[in-house]
Amino acid sequence: MADVIASARAAGRTLLTEVESKELLHSAGIPVTRAKLAKKAKQAEEIAEEIGYPVVLKIVSPDIAHKSDVGGVAVGIDSAKALRKAFKEMMDRVQAAAPGARIEGISVQQMATPGTEVIVGATTDPQFGPVMMFGLGGVFVEVLKDVAFRVVPLEPRDARQMVREIRGFPILEGVRGGAAADLGALESLILRVSDFMSQHPEIAELDLNPVFAYPNGALAVDARVVLTEAAS
Amino acid sequence: MSGKNAKIGNAGTIDPARLHRALNPRTVAVVGDKGPNYNWITNLKEFTGKVFSVQLDEKELPGILERGVPNFRSLVDIPEDIDLVICAVPRQVTPFIMKDAVAKGVGGISMFTSGFAETGEEIGVKLQQMIYDTCAENGMPLVGPNCMGIYNRRLGVKFTGAQEQGEGGEVGIVSQSGTHGIAMTIGSQRLGVKVTRAISIGNAVVLNEADYLEYMLNDPDVRVISMYLEGVRNGRKFFEVLKKATRQKPVIIWRGGRSRAGARAVRSHTGSLASDDAIWSALVKQAGAISVDTLEDAIDTIAALVLAPATPKRNLALVAMTGGQSVAITDQFERAGFEVPELSKKSYDILGEFFVTIGGSYRNPFDASSTIGRETDNLAKILEVLANERAIDGGVAFELGSRGFEDGSERMDQMLDLLRKYRDTTGLPVVALMPDGGVMGGDAEILVRARGYVSKAGFPVYPSFQRGAAALGRAAAYWTWRKEVGARPRAVKK
Repeated sequence: MADVIASARAAGRTLLTEVESKELLHSAGIPVTRAKLAKKAKQAEEIAEEIGYPVVLKIVSPDIAHKSDVGGVAVGIDSAKALRKAFKEMMDRVQAAAPGARIEGISVQQMATPGTEVIVGATTDPQFGPVMMFGLGGVFVEVLKDVAFRVVPLEPRDARQMVREIRGFPILEGVRGGAAADLGALESLILRVSDFMSQHPEIAELDLNPVFAYPNGALAVDARVVLTEAAS
Repeated sequence: MSGKNAKIGNAGTIDPARLHRALNPRTVAVVGDKGPNYNWITNLKEFTGKVFSVQLDEKELPGILERGVPNFRSLVDIPEDIDLVICAVPRQVTPFIMKDAVAKGVGGISMFTSGFAETGEEIGVKLQQMIYDTCAENGMPLVGPNCMGIYNRRLGVKFTGAQEQGEGGEVGIVSQSGTHGIAMTIGSQRLGVKVTRAISIGNAVVLNEADYLEYMLNDPDVRVISMYLEGVRNGRKFFEVLKKATRQKPVIIWRGGRSRAGARAVRSHTGSLASDDAIWSALVKQAGAISVDTLEDAIDTIAALVLAPATPKRNLALVAMTGGQSVAITDQFERAGFEVPELSKKSYDILGEFFVTIGGSYRNPFDASSTIGRETDNLAKILEVLANERAIDGGVAFELGSRGFEDGSERMDQMLDLLRKYRDTTGLPVVALMPDGGVMGGDAEILVRARGYVSKAGFPVYPSFQRGAAALGRAAAYWTWRKEVGARPRAVKK
């Protein structure tokens, strides 16, 4: 865990890659899809064997912020053969779309079953220090800004209230035949992130976006961790 | 009034006993007071302790001595111990006064002097740093600078003449603005609420919001705390103290202004949505404090918390004087989260025996002017029914007319006696609503006088249904929260 942060610091980066972010969060007991970096197709195959098919491939580059814009995301890869093909094609596509971008490799990730999308995040308030945010994903957060905040550390009642405070809460309870989300799992994920933020003052910001909320459990599918500016 | 760009400091070495001495002085030295009004000396006219003056300017001496205050050339020349220094010298003189205060071993300093970091000038920032350093080194409690200082009701230490001197006290006020500190104090007094102490905190360089809040929390003469804040110096400590405070006393927070720290880099979605407002409202809610947006809301809430018995219950009886008002009062209280339940058959049977139902109704809400408009026997009967009514657990909100008040208070006294009896036997809130333009209101001047009369009699009074409902709603929400956190103590992690 310290390694991830130390190597980013050594490279003068404050923005962790998705692979690094997920490694960090996973070791803190926060449910995230597993992701590992492969430099070569052969290595990608080994990782896929370990994680289990189907997998997702995502380009890893400190110069590329929006991976899907440059063809840097491929989903539903269900065999070693498909993986080798997708790996080569992605490398070619990205190099063509973003010439000169530093490419560290491709991350091989567990492919999560879709669920109700929510966002769980944390940031550092200049007055109050670490704070957390919860909301429904997509337009709910982008357009309606339907989110709830709490100051870290959260108590269980804070997590409970936070989830219920957003206007879109009925969606999590299940509307129009949709399944109800596992609220307990969301609350526990929020509390784990709160603990994580309390224990790591070197983390300035964090987005888990989206987190898939399931009838049983919750899983962060994408993660972005930003370190504080001052190396400590 | 907040100090920008100042070194944010909290002299964590201040001894609580020394702070207590400074905030409850028996001797005060005013340094640098000036004519023609000698405001600081004049503000201490009712001070129960001894006042001394320090002034070098010969031409100010007659005015000071005329007011019966002995003058000295320096703090160290005063022959008695000094608990509090009120410092009103120009900013460039403050280093000398600080030095003398340390040498004299005074309890603490209240610094009215301004022109420090709040100006953004280099000299101001430097002088403020000097103040901080001197206090930190010597464990000196200092209120301000750039503030009106302290008001202590019992001892008669004031920062404006209108603050009352006398026994007792209910409310503690902490304000980042001197004006709002005065307004909250005077507004509360006008309603018959005793303000125990008020502190205008200014730049909060040495002692900050969290320190004052903690002091008020530990002051047995403070039952309700009301704060006006724009920002806080030590956010983490403030959050911790606030969480502790609200579990023992209601804390009202009126927040003004918006964040200064706009220009920080944000690289996450969460960061871009974390506005200052969003974080403040989350913090207030999370800590169980009561959020208000205006001075009126703050004072209305103080009145509800101090003058109405504490209850989380929300089933009310609403008594209005006309049909239209009975609808309006119900709309407002329901909007504020109250229920207006039907009464039992037994209650309706008793009410049916005497209630004038032509042009009236007793279903709850009550439309009661034809029944109680002229005499009070029927009011006594109604309140007796309500006192025995199990469906009503949250008290009574009562539209009180001031008609006839210009001819004497006899009828008003009778009504208030009955309402008091209801309140004291049931232990439930009674809220008086005396709206502008109510048909039972009489003319405006009489209405204002009548409101004052009713609040001095010890009832929370509101000039509209909406304000009364909102204030009682905020109080009920607080008591509900208290019950929730009290009933479910925090699990201890092993």
